[in-house]
Amino acid sequence: MKLRRDPWGHPRGLALVTWIYIIWSLAPVIMAIRFAFNEGRSRTTTQGWSLRWFWQDPTLSVFHDPSLHSALEQSLTLAFFAMLIATPLGIGLALGLQRWRGRGSGIANGLTLLPLVTPELVFAVGLFMLFTTAFKFIGLGTTAQVIGHVTFSVSFVVVIVRGRLQTIGSDMEEAAADLGAPPWEVVRRVLIPLLIPAIGASLLIVFALSIDDFVVSQYLASGADTTTVPMRIYAQARAAPTPALNALATIMLAVTLLALLLAYLVFRFSTRGQKGGSAIGQLAGLDARIDAGGTK
Amino acid sequence: MSEGKGDIRLEGLTKRFGDVTAVDGIDLHVPSGEFFTMLGPSGCGKTTTLRLIAGFERPDAGAILLDGADMSRIPPHKRNVNTVFQSYALFPHKSVEDNIAFGLRYKKLPREDARRRVQEAMDLVRLGGLGARKPAQLSGGQQQRVALARALVLEPPVLLLDEPLGALDARLRVDLQVELKRIQEQLEITFIYVTHDQDEALTMSDRVAVMRDGRIEQCAAPRELYEEPATAFVANFLGAANLIPVQAHADGDDTALTLGSFTLRSAGSGHADGAAMAMIRPEYVRLEPHGTTGENRVPGMVEEVVYLGFHQDVRVRLATGTLLRADVPNDGDAVEYEQGDAVAVHLRAKNLRVLTEDASVPSSAATGHFAAVSAAEPA
Repeated sequence: MKLRRDPWGHPRGLALVTWIYIIWSLAPVIMAIRFAFNEGRSRTTTQGWSLRWFWQDPTLSVFHDPSLHSALEQSLTLAFFAMLIATPLGIGLALGLQRWRGRGSGIANGLTLLPLVTPELVFAVGLFMLFTTAFKFIGLGTTAQVIGHVTFSVSFVVVIVRGRLQTIGSDMEEAAADLGAPPWEVVRRVLIPLLIPAIGASLLIVFALSIDDFVVSQYLASGADTTTVPMRIYAQARAAPTPALNALATIMLAVTLLALLLAYLVFRFSTRGQKGGSAIGQLAGLDARIDAGGTK
Repeated sequence: MSEGKGDIRLEGLTKRFGDVTAVDGIDLHVPSGEFFTMLGPSGCGKTTTLRLIAGFERPDAGAILLDGADMSRIPPHKRNVNTVFQSYALFPHKSVEDNIAFGLRYKKLPREDARRRVQEAMDLVRLGGLGARKPAQLSGGQQQRVALARALVLEPPVLLLDEPLGALDARLRVDLQVELKRIQEQLEITFIYVTHDQDEALTMSDRVAVMRDGRIEQCAAPRELYEEPATAFVANFLGAANLIPVQAHADGDDTALTLGSFTLRSAGSGHADGAAMAMIRPEYVRLEPHGTTGENRVPGMVEEVVYLGFHQDVRVRLATGTLLRADVPNDGDAVEYEQGDAVAVHLRAKNLRVLTEDASVPSSAATGHFAAVSAAEPA
C-alpha cells in the first residue's frame, strides 16, 4: 500500500487556516487605516490619497477640530496618570501579597484579581455611584476617570509582577539578606532590577488598557472636555462620520505600537545576559495580555 | 582568614510549620573549624535546621549560639554566617565580580581592599578571568564556584552549604567535593553542610549527623557511622544493610544471637536483650563452600546472582528462611556461584552488629523478601 500523505511534510492545512485568521483579523484594521488617508469624505469608497484628515483640512482634520484634538489629549493624559499610579501601586500590592502568609491572604489574593473578571459595565456603574454619592467631593471628571482606570488596571500589574516574582523566587532575596543587605537594599539592589521587565510590561499594559477603555471613561466623564478618543469615535460614528475619525484611530494605533516597541526594547536591554527562557516567556505572556485587554 | 571562632551550638532548637514539626528539639555542638554534615532523606529537617542557623526561619523554641552568643533573634543580614544555596541564587543582572562583591559593600571596606578581596576569592575558587561574565554565561560548576566565592569573600566564621553540589553531574560533583574540602581546610572555617548524598557526607565530613523526622538519629565520624550504626535507619541510609530479626542476650562482652536453631555471636556491640535486629553489611558477608563449619556459619542456598560489574550481588536464602545479600567483589574470575548452589554463609562476629529493633523499618521476616534494604545506594 502506498502512503498518500507524508506525515513529515509541511502542514499545509494548518498554515492555510492560520493565514485566513491573520487576514481576517488584520483586514478591518488595514481598511480603517486606508480610509484615514482618503482624499474624499467617504469612509467606504477609496478616493485617492492625502493627509487631509490628519491636519490639512482647516476645520475637520484631527489637528484642527478642537473636539478630536482634545479627545486625544484627554486619552493620553488619562493613560499617563494611570500608568504612573497603577504601576507602583501594583508592584507594592504584588510584593505584599507574595509575602503575606496566613489568615486572610488567600481571600485578599482572590479579591485583588476580581476586577479581571468583573464585567466592566458593573464595575463602571459601581464607580459612578461611588463618585456621585460617597465620594462626592471628588465628583465626576478627569480625577474620577484616572482613579477608575487605575482601579481596574492595577490587577493586571499585580498578575504580571507576581508572575515575575514567582520566577525570581525567594532565594534571591534570601541570598541578598544573607550577604548583609538590609531589607530596603534587598529591594533596591536585587528585586527592582530583576523586576524591570515586569515593570515595563506593566506600564505598557496599563497604557493599553487605559487608551482602549470606553465604558469606565464614559460613565465617569463630566462633559466635553473629559471625552476620550473611544468616546468621541463612538459618538461621532453615529452622527456625521468623516475619515478624521479613521485618522484619529490611526494615531492611537501608532502611539500604541510605539509604546509596544519601546517596551520590547527596554525588555531586551534589561534582560541582556540572562537566561532567555523567562524573558521570552514574559514577552509572550505580555502579548497575550494585550490581546485579552484589546478585546475586552 | 576567619575573624571569629566559628563555634556553633544548637540548644533545643524547634521549628513547626502548622502541624508538622520540622525540627524537633535539636541539641548539637559543632566546634570551630569542623566540616560538619547533616545527612538525611528529604523532609528530615536538615534544610530547615540550616535555614534556622542562617536566619531565614524563626525558631519556635531553642537557641542558636555562635561563639557563645545567642543569635536566634538576629535578622539574617546581621548574622555572621553565610550561605551557599542549592540553586546558587546568583544575581542574574550582575557580573561575576559584582556578585562576589555584593556583600562587601556592607563591610565598609576601602575600595582597594574590596577589590583585592574579590580577586583573592576568585583565585581561591579558581575563577580567574571570568569576572566580567554574567552568571547565565557560566557552566553549572562555574556558577557553583561563584556562589562559594560570594559567601567566602565575607570571611564568615561559619559557612552554611545547602546541597551545593546537588545540581551538578556526578563527575563534576566528585571534583568539587575534593575542592570544597581543600578550601575548608585552607581557610579553617566551620562548614555546616546539608546533603542527602551519603557519598558526599562520607567523603568530606569530619562528623556526620544522620537526621530523621526533625531529630538527630546518630552523630559520629563517617567511619563510626558506617561501621557502627546505632539504629536500623542509619544502617539503611548509609550503604546497604542486611537486617536479621533475632533474639539477643548478653554473653560476657559479646552478645549471643538466636536465629532459628542457630546461635551466632556478635562481638562487642551488644547490650540488647530480647527481640533485636542483627545487622551485617553485604560486603562483609562471606560465602564459603557448602559444609564449612565453625562459629557464625549458617547454611544457605543461592537464589540469585546479579552481575554489577565491579562486584556481584549474590542473594542467599538462609536455612532459617531469611534472604541475605552478599557483595562478592569481581576479581576477574568467572562467576563462582550459581542459582541453586548450596553454600555456607559466614557472618563474622566482628561484623555482626546488634541494633535495637526499629518498627518503621521493614524487617526481612515481615516482608519475606531479602533483608537488604538500601535507601541510598551508590550509583
